[in-house]
Formats: sequence, C-alpha cells, structure tokens
Amino acid sequence: MTPVAFDDGRRPPQDFAGLVERHQQALRAFLRRTCGDWALADDLAQDTFLTAWDRLDRLAPEANVRAWLCGIGYNKALTALRSARRSRAREAAYQEVAPMAGAPAPEDRLALERAMASLPVEQRAAVALCLAADFSHAEAATILALPLGTLKSHVTRGRARLLQILEDKI
Amino acid sequence: MSDSDDRLKALFALDLPPAQDGFFSTEVMAALACRRFRQDMAAVTLWSLAGALALALLGPVVVPALQAMATGLAPVALEIGATMLLLGWTTGVLKPDLSLRT
Repeated sequence: MTPVAFDDGRRPPQDFAGLVERHQQALRAFLRRTCGDWALADDLAQDTFLTAWDRLDRLAPEANVRAWLCGIGYNKALTALRSARRSRAREAAYQEVAPMAGAPAPEDRLALERAMASLPVEQRAAVALCLAADFSHAEAATILALPLGTLKSHVTRGRARLLQILEDKI
Repeated sequence: MSDSDDRLKALFALDLPPAQDGFFSTEVMAALACRRFRQDMAAVTLWSLAGALALALLGPVVVPALQAMATGLAPVALEIGATMLLLGWTTGVLKPDLSLRT
C-alpha cells in the first residue's frame, strides 16, 4: 500500500487528488460490498475522502492509507446502515437485491449479491476485505476494529456461507 | 488460495469500480473545494467579527491615546522630515524636484 507524507503546513490539493485516484477503486468496492447499495457506497466514499482530508495531519507517514480509508469508510457505512433514517429502507432494498443502476447484471453477480445480502454486515465487511480485496486478516481486524480471532471467524463463516449459497444457485 | 477462493475472487471482480474514474475524483475534489471555501469564509467572518468587537471595545481607550500621542509627535515628525529634506539637498541625494538621484 502506498505510504503518503504531507507537509505539516499546507496540504497540496494535487497530492490529495492523486490519493483519491489511487484508492477510490478499492474504497468504493469495499463499501459497495459492505452496503450493497452502489449509490450510497459512492456517497460514503466521497464523504470518507472529505473526512480523510480533515484528518490527514493525524496520519502517520508510514501508515497504510488504503486500510486507513477503509476504516473511516466502514464507520461511515455502519452509521448509515444503523441510522433510523436510512437503514430500514436500504437494508430492505438490499435484501431484495433489486438490480442496481449502472451495475452489470450477469447471473453470477446477482447470485453473489444475494449471497452477500444474507450475511451480517460485519461478515460482509470481513469477506469484502479478506476475500474480495487483498487485505491480511490483521489489517482487516484493524480496519473493522475487531479482535483478530473474531475477524477470522467472520471470514470463515462468511466464506462458507457464500460458497454454500453459490453452490445452490450457480 | 483454493479454487473456491479464486472463484469467489473472480465473482467479486465482476463489480469492481473502474481503476481510473475521473468523474468520481472530480466530484470529490469539487466537494473538497466547496468545503474549504465554506471553512475559509467562516474563518474570515469569525476574524472580522472578532476584529470589529475588539475595535468596539478598545476604541474608547485607544482613540484618545492615539490622538494625544499624535498631538505630541506631530512637531517632532515635522522636524525630522525637514532635517531629512535638508540633508538630502545638501548631500545631493535629492534633486531639486524632490526625486532621488540614481
């Protein structure tokens, strides 16, 4: 992962634009898999980058930027999913797995979405980080603020459940 | 990594966002610019209000003091100015039209 160092004084926006460009794919993919709602995930990703801008001063020079961004994004996703305003409608929509605007819709992808929808949010996030992306268990545990053992358990259970559902549907 | 994991990974790769997404990046940077503008405006407003408040509070004390100081300093400033002028003319640094000789 790319370490990033910024001046103590002025933070050049062009460097931040580069940071957005480098990490947007991983962050958006993680949030899409965690939320299940692409539009909400992209909103959260944008919000995550704005929060990251405010907190750049607190980022250690050798920090894993991608993991740091995913951590911020995960907290925002949890807040959004738990908020009374959004969670009911969006979780219901996710459970139904309606086709999402702009998303490719092959059979396999829909089957995967259904399978992901059946997982609790923490398992979804663990699977998204460790199976869909290339985060280690330790990194994912840090991002999700979970004990390593719990994280591994989420990944194992999530993986087994996904494979079980996919076996039936694909 | 097992075949199952490879299969899952391949499925997940189907809905990856694009690696380069200029539209998304532009949206983020535009939102950031808006936020910075709002923060700058809030800071300027805050400092302006603080300055105005300070002037309003200190005005009754500072203005008479400045006036008193100005009354006392005016003759001294006049003498210093006249001396500098004379020195300039006599040493040739100043031209008769008061411009500097280069």
